[in-house]
Amino acid sequence: MSEIPVAVTFAEQAKQRIFKRDPDAAPIADIRAKVFELEAAGEWRVQRVPEPFSPVMTKYGRTKKIPVEHTWHHKSCGQCGHIPGYSTSIFWLNRKLGLDYNDPKDQTSCTAWNYYASATSNAAAQAAVAMRNFAAADESGYFPIIHCATSYGHYKEVRDELVRHPALRAEVRKILAAMGKELVMPEEMVHYSEWVHAMRDRIAARKVLDLSKIVVTVHPACHYYKLVQEDAIYDPDVYGGQRTAIVSATVQALGAQVADYSTWFDCCGFGFRHILVQRDFSRSFATQRKIEVMKEEANPDVTLTHDTGCVTTLDKSQFAAKAHDRKVGIPVMSEAQFAALAMGAHPYRVCQLHWHATDYRPLLTKMGIDWEARWAEFQVDLKRLESGEAKYLTWEDADA
Amino acid sequence: MPIRTAPPSVTEEEKARVFAEVTADERYKDYLYGCYECGICVAVCPSARFYDFSPRRIAQAVGREDLGMFWEQMNKDIWDCSQCFSCLKCPRGNNPGGVITIMREVAVRNGLRTAREALEGYSRIVYKIMSTGTQVSPDMIRADAFPDWGPTAKETGDNLALWRRAMPPETMHTTSSSWEVSEKTLSELYLIWHMTGVLDMIREVDEGLHAILVDVMEESLEERGYKVA
Amino acid sequence: MPSDRLLVIGGGPAGMEAARVGLELGAPVTIVETRDRLGGTPDEASYAALTPDFADAGEAMRGMADAVTRNGLADVRLSTRVTASAGEAGAFRVTLSGPNGDEIVEAGAMIVATGFTHFDPASANQSYGYYEFPDVITLPEAEKMLKDHRFVKPSTGEPPKRVCFVQCVGSRDRRIGNEYCSKVCCGVASKEAIEIRRLLPDCKVTIFYIDMRMYGHWEEKIYWPAQETYHVNYVRGVISEILPQGDHLVVRGEDTTMGRPMEVAMDVVVLSVGMVPSAGTKAIGPILGIEQDKNGFIQTPGGVLDPVATSVAGIFVAGAAAGPKDLEDTVSMAGSAAARAVAITRRPAPVLAR
Repeated sequence: MSEIPVAVTFAEQAKQRIFKRDPDAAPIADIRAKVFELEAAGEWRVQRVPEPFSPVMTKYGRTKKIPVEHTWHHKSCGQCGHIPGYSTSIFWLNRKLGLDYNDPKDQTSCTAWNYYASATSNAAAQAAVAMRNFAAADESGYFPIIHCATSYGHYKEVRDELVRHPALRAEVRKILAAMGKELVMPEEMVHYSEWVHAMRDRIAARKVLDLSKIVVTVHPACHYYKLVQEDAIYDPDVYGGQRTAIVSATVQALGAQVADYSTWFDCCGFGFRHILVQRDFSRSFATQRKIEVMKEEANPDVTLTHDTGCVTTLDKSQFAAKAHDRKVGIPVMSEAQFAALAMGAHPYRVCQLHWHATDYRPLLTKMGIDWEARWAEFQVDLKRLESGEAKYLTWEDADA
Repeated sequence: MPIRTAPPSVTEEEKARVFAEVTADERYKDYLYGCYECGICVAVCPSARFYDFSPRRIAQAVGREDLGMFWEQMNKDIWDCSQCFSCLKCPRGNNPGGVITIMREVAVRNGLRTAREALEGYSRIVYKIMSTGTQVSPDMIRADAFPDWGPTAKETGDNLALWRRAMPPETMHTTSSSWEVSEKTLSELYLIWHMTGVLDMIREVDEGLHAILVDVMEESLEERGYKVA
Repeated sequence: MPSDRLLVIGGGPAGMEAARVGLELGAPVTIVETRDRLGGTPDEASYAALTPDFADAGEAMRGMADAVTRNGLADVRLSTRVTASAGEAGAFRVTLSGPNGDEIVEAGAMIVATGFTHFDPASANQSYGYYEFPDVITLPEAEKMLKDHRFVKPSTGEPPKRVCFVQCVGSRDRRIGNEYCSKVCCGVASKEAIEIRRLLPDCKVTIFYIDMRMYGHWEEKIYWPAQETYHVNYVRGVISEILPQGDHLVVRGEDTTMGRPMEVAMDVVVLSVGMVPSAGTKAIGPILGIEQDKNGFIQTPGGVLDPVATSVAGIFVAGAAAGPKDLEDTVSMAGSAAARAVAITRRPAPVLAR
């Protein structure tokens, strides 16, 4: 007897409302299949995700491989430059979990911020920058993991264009050859927040704080889940599988409360060029469409996101708005910093919260962190550096 | 700033030429199919809420080959886009944000006055990415540049050198770039800008900046033994 | 062995009408249905009233079923499926699997009437939160309430003040691979909107659409009364997102004729879900060896001039198994398919499709 399911009545379906994705019924072809086909045709080599890896589910029920360690960290300009606690926390989490990683100097910016801001570049340059970075990762023997969601989205776009356009591949191959590099495409495009998602239970097991009273609003990055939609993480247990589970699943695993709000899908208003030179747009949008709505509807202790631009826009837009008596004042950070704090990371040595604009101190108090004592310790560190006793703060210092 | 004279009024032929440049881009056919004019792209667009901007009108103008509306958009609307790609919700599979990316590139390559004006004040970012390998840097945070960011902008600026040493990651003890980019890597980046014609695009936007960049890059490339025309 | 029997696969409107016409022409008919009763999707999904004449769906389906079961030449197999097939036009040997095990039935011609099912809105490209919010429902779920002469907000059980319909859910979308239009949803949504307005005169009802498609006489029978008598609002701009806000929902779209983004509070959102092939339709293709299109609907290689012949001689199709159809299409196809099937059984040589 063949397996033809009898039609489920709609009353039963409504009661159950359990959504299951069937990967064989995915509407969009799997680009990874094409990537491997092109390797077989000699167009490029594919860098495989190393073992051990953690499988996660993406939008149409497919499995994505997330490398656990031996990762090459593709850093973010905005993070390293303006939110250094963000990058530091990502590295710290890897170290605390005992995982080997590579923090390269042979890495350029993805240049997507500039590209989306000004278009003073073109498809070939953008693709060459991406593939040069991936060649460098491959040469190091470590698998690339991307810190910024804009880089991640842009690189997924580049992958798509390289798969579709042989002429573009040829041009990039030629440019790489001129610098003695090979055309190598990673098996997966991996964002660091996907690694945090895959590691969330391991991270939660090392929690030293009780976060059950912390209310969090999540802001998912446009470039993570709207660009190349099929490659984002979805989970039937989170939002019924209807919205990307990224960050929210991590917050839930850490035991904090995820609060909903009616502009969840809205962009933060970063605008790439706007945040730098036309900030009235970014500021107004972030304040009126995101922060005020979160405050009114969810009144969270913190808002967490997983992208450089989003942290920047949401964090930096609130000061001017406050001067206009708008209802703002929600501290902003990445889920990496939040997870690090949960594991006992120093708020200043590791999470570098002194670079953040919106007041985070009430949050730290509510989390049970004595920020005054921590700040005093950090002041001592600064004195040691000032006096020349030490040149830099080290990883050992960070956990002292 | 030099006074810019108004350009001669643009002929229909010129508009058609620029339009053809947009549709000739190899990505164009993946970005624009038919249009339902259903408004989903506008519904999700952040710029549509703040500016008189509509990704739907861009898709419609280009789709209908309406040169008048297209030309207006080339000279104003395209710079209002946030490039967030929320408009990829389009049920026809269109990418209005992507069409705008192409339109912007064409505007820059053709040296449109409005492109130069839109990018005024932005050249220091172009300089930063072109020359250091990172797009922003710690030393950009200064109270005079970002007064609306609050007192941390001043604190950061005042304490920059010290604070940058007070963080564990070994590559991040830099101030004029976001992380330490090796010289070899930087020269590879310059080679990419050279070989892909990006420097020519920059010349259209800011001649002074272009001159500086060419000097810096050519020196580095020659040192590394790369041949540049 | 040549047989004069017709095998009708599927006991919905298409199957019941095909069987009735076959019987009327004097042929013995076996009709096979996986459920334990005839009536198909209108019965199983508890449709209230049919479009556009507001006939009672239950009565209509019972009438169609009686026309079959009353006839002595009808062999009705409930809780049964077709699981294998061999032979050729004029002499098929088909395996039926039912409550009493497997049995091979000989038939001269077959009519596939396995129908459609409603699109699962969770697979929509837009963010409707169907599995998150109980107050986001589908057309058939609304239909079920209307059959009981009620319409309430599922989360509270209270009558809503603001209801909207969102058109084209699961249809006309390249990103989910269902590029076709499901044909009936504009009319069905308008019909349900009228029914809701009749039940709840204080409830404001809006339909958000890309195009309003009510062809032929549906225009003046449904669209005009919806607007003129029942004051249903039609807004051109389909919804992109549904999110919660306090005790209600918020829907986002662009009011395209006014050229501005809109955000509207709603109590209940009804998603006008389109048609996709039923599980039975998807499965029957490989079993009978008939071709299907990329979505799984049964192909009719003869195009518009032959809407009922499949890629295999002697096997015909009727109704939504061949793609989105309204009831009128379905009943028309069923009669034509039955006549063609009878013709096959009365001729020794197979008849080629036109």
